[in-house]
Amino acid sequence: MEELIGKTWHRLICQTSQHENETARIHLSDLSWPLTLFYRALGGHPGKKIVPAYATRFRHKRRLIQRIAGTDQKHFISWQDEEHLNLPPSIAYFEDATLNTSLYYWLTAMSAKLPSVDHWFEDNQRICAELLKERPGLKKTYHKLAKACIDKRPLLSELQNNEYEREIAIQDALLKPGNHHTLPIAKGDPFPVWIWLYPAPLRAVPVKTDEQLESGSNKQSSKQNSSESRKMAQRIDDRKQTDGLIVFQAESLFSWSEQADLDRSQIDDMDDDLISVAEDLDIVSVSRQRRSGMAKLKFDLDLPAAENDDLPLGEGIRLPEWDYRKSKLIEDYCLLQPMLADTVEPTALPEHLSNIARKLKKRFSILQTQRSWQRRQTFGDEIDLDAWLQNTTQPVRDINRQDYYQSQITNQRDIACLLLADLSMSTDAMISEEKNVIDVIKDTLLLFAEAMTDAGDQFGIYGFSSVKNTQVRYHILKNFKETYNDMTRGRILATRPGFYTRMGAAIRQSTQILSMQAAKQRLLMVISDGKPNDIDQYEGRYGIEDTRRAIIEAKKQGLQPFCVTIDNQAHDYLSYLFGDNGFAIVNDVSKLPLILPRQYLKLTTMNA
Amino acid sequence: MQNNHYYLPHNREINIFNFAAQNRLPVLLKGPTGCGKTRFVEHMAEKLNRPVYTVACHDDLTASDLVGRYLLNPEGTYWQDGPLTRAVKEGGICYLDEVVEARKDTTVVLHPLSDHRRVLSIGQTGETIKAHDDFMLVVSYNPGYQNMLKGLKPSTRQRFVAMSFDYQKPENEMTIICQESGINKETAKQLVSLANDLRRLNDHDIEEAASTRLLIYAAMMINSGMPAKEACMSCLAEPISDDKDTLAAIERIIDTYFES
Ligand SMILES: Nc1ncnc2c1ncn2[C@@H]1O[C@H](COP(=O)(O)OP(=O)(O)O)[C@@H](O)[C@H]1O
Ligand SMILES: [Mg+2]
Repeated sequence: MEELIGKTWHRLICQTSQHENETARIHLSDLSWPLTLFYRALGGHPGKKIVPAYATRFRHKRRLIQRIAGTDQKHFISWQDEEHLNLPPSIAYFEDATLNTSLYYWLTAMSAKLPSVDHWFEDNQRICAELLKERPGLKKTYHKLAKACIDKRPLLSELQNNEYEREIAIQDALLKPGNHHTLPIAKGDPFPVWIWLYPAPLRAVPVKTDEQLESGSNKQSSKQNSSESRKMAQRIDDRKQTDGLIVFQAESLFSWSEQADLDRSQIDDMDDDLISVAEDLDIVSVSRQRRSGMAKLKFDLDLPAAENDDLPLGEGIRLPEWDYRKSKLIEDYCLLQPMLADTVEPTALPEHLSNIARKLKKRFSILQTQRSWQRRQTFGDEIDLDAWLQNTTQPVRDINRQDYYQSQITNQRDIACLLLADLSMSTDAMISEEKNVIDVIKDTLLLFAEAMTDAGDQFGIYGFSSVKNTQVRYHILKNFKETYNDMTRGRILATRPGFYTRMGAAIRQSTQILSMQAAKQRLLMVISDGKPNDIDQYEGRYGIEDTRRAIIEAKKQGLQPFCVTIDNQAHDYLSYLFGDNGFAIVNDVSKLPLILPRQYLKLTTMNA
Repeated sequence: MQNNHYYLPHNREINIFNFAAQNRLPVLLKGPTGCGKTRFVEHMAEKLNRPVYTVACHDDLTASDLVGRYLLNPEGTYWQDGPLTRAVKEGGICYLDEVVEARKDTTVVLHPLSDHRRVLSIGQTGETIKAHDDFMLVVSYNPGYQNMLKGLKPSTRQRFVAMSFDYQKPENEMTIICQESGINKETAKQLVSLANDLRRLNDHDIEEAASTRLLIYAAMMINSGMPAKEACMSCLAEPISDDKDTLAAIERIIDTYFES
């Protein structure tokens, strides 16, 4: 009895740090890359991203002590959804930091084998057992973790009846995973099991998206989503009956009202929770309104509202356009508006690109210092034996030839490249469930820029789209003179699909910019996803002929235009536009980020 | 004939190779490093009873390294045949490993040898040699990410009978490892599972996958008494990455099989 009081007292005093050992705290952010690799190696879906989980509310039975000292209801549990593996942002449960680290790896191993949890109690045990069998090296760590967890679980002596039974079952399942099939039903949630995974909380409609807005099917999809979330709420509710485990779901923004309705039995415990939920709902409705409002704007006016748009720079630039029917260049026909996204946040390179960026940088950095032997020199660092032998073994010798030396030279690169990206509406097309073309284009631009900074070549990045001849939108993503940094990254990441594709004007403007750069080789690279077109006469032959004209003009200026396209049908028109060797067609869009740098290297090392 | 080079076939590659040899066609082997391409060629050379000249290509490899060059001796200069020329004259197999690494000027020599002409012209001596009937050109190439910049030109690859290799399926790879290192089945099984974990990390994560060759090294080390974890670190982790975080992850993966 004395011991019990002592422990309880201790817990009361140390309420906030009950499970936490600050000096042993391990942060997810420090482990995210090794965990990602670990996850993939153990068979986890390679596309999933490891992210910090948000705290989830649990409904334990609240004891008087907890009411006094603040509740112990928020926990970081681990779960997966379609795109993410959610792990606690930091772990400090154990005094031993290595055990905290091991817990991260353990949860990741579990997740790799258990992409979705259907029966929390059974699935977790089954996967534990399988893991331990397949990977005997995990046994020791597992048993340490399980024991350490049990040590921190509620004291059995504080529990009664069903809750006692349930806790016994859990603790036993931790020690002998795979042996228990049903979890005794009891009130509230069992204290979280740190080394187990949980089903995904409801998050039917991600709040973040502006993407759907641009796709043009908003009203419908938002309806769909809300009915879907209702369905999910239903499902969750069903689960409650089967294994008594619902409540961590409750955090979900969208399901809250439903959940609250369905779950009156526990309403007395939820007073303060409801307040914060109400706050959450506010955020949601606000963002919903913004979305529908924006959608309306876009579809009524055909252009983004000024406050949402990039900042126009200056009055615009007048450019000519070629009318093939009249065989005539019509002066000042287009108004091109340079634009700058001025409200973006500086952003670091997204995690999913960091590894490949590193590889590309390595590869590109060699360019700067690439050295090669220049043979057959009349003077130099070393004797060119081959040259001498060659000459000596000739039946008739040319005695005037004295080019028997070779020297090493550093290859001088003197290159400027302008990358022009098609940001038309069609780039909104989805290429997989989670990515659309514009995402791949952004990745491509970022990786290219990363690589280029190490190559030391001059480069600029621009994007374009248009609405008729009067509004050719020319987005400055990185100017030539600007250094590539978090600001430029932020700008690239903020690009969104625009409107149509008046390619001629964009190429003419790019030609002007690139012509001002002093370099021996000047490369104009265009990334496109289809034919030139706009909603006026700029389509079909008209658009093609104007674009071709613009490319010919660029070549006359001594520029080297090259097009990388993801349009499978592009063969017919691209050779007409860019010439036989002036383009590359990318069949698998997702490869674009790799193919562009490769093309660049091809184009710039061939002439070296 | 006694076969010194143990080779466990994946598939029908032995037959395909035999037919190519019968018809005097050149062969292209595609596949990651250390999956058995060289072993296969050696094995086939033995079966066909032909000498094999293996050249590991690298980016400084020029046509004269293959064809031959003039050398110096006290009397003056003399000509020495390169491995390709020797194979062409004697009727052997010339195996160019990682052919994409070689300089572009080598294709000039390879093209006339790999089509119906089957001739080798030696620029320096002005000779043109008709290849021996038993001459066979075999090249290999690793189509992984690291060759993204090079690739094999279509005009070159269009000349070959090609086949793809990959790491063997787990049971076979286990057999090979046991055979080559003498290690017990249980450990071999774990090594192969470990390798397959590492192979799930794709081109973007690590430069090279853990090859059968490296697995055999690890197995040999373990078999001679080295602790399993240490052997795996030095044979399977360190050789495939230099990145600290990546190595940390690989160590954890190793830990799931072999406790330290
Ligand atoms: N099918 C196989 N049969 C026998 N040994 C093999 C086989 N595949 C791989 N090996 C072993 O793996 C090692 C590496 O293979 P190797 O032929 O050098 O690979 P590659 O030429 O593809 O880089 C060989 O020395 C051999 O011990
Ligand atoms: Mg080899």
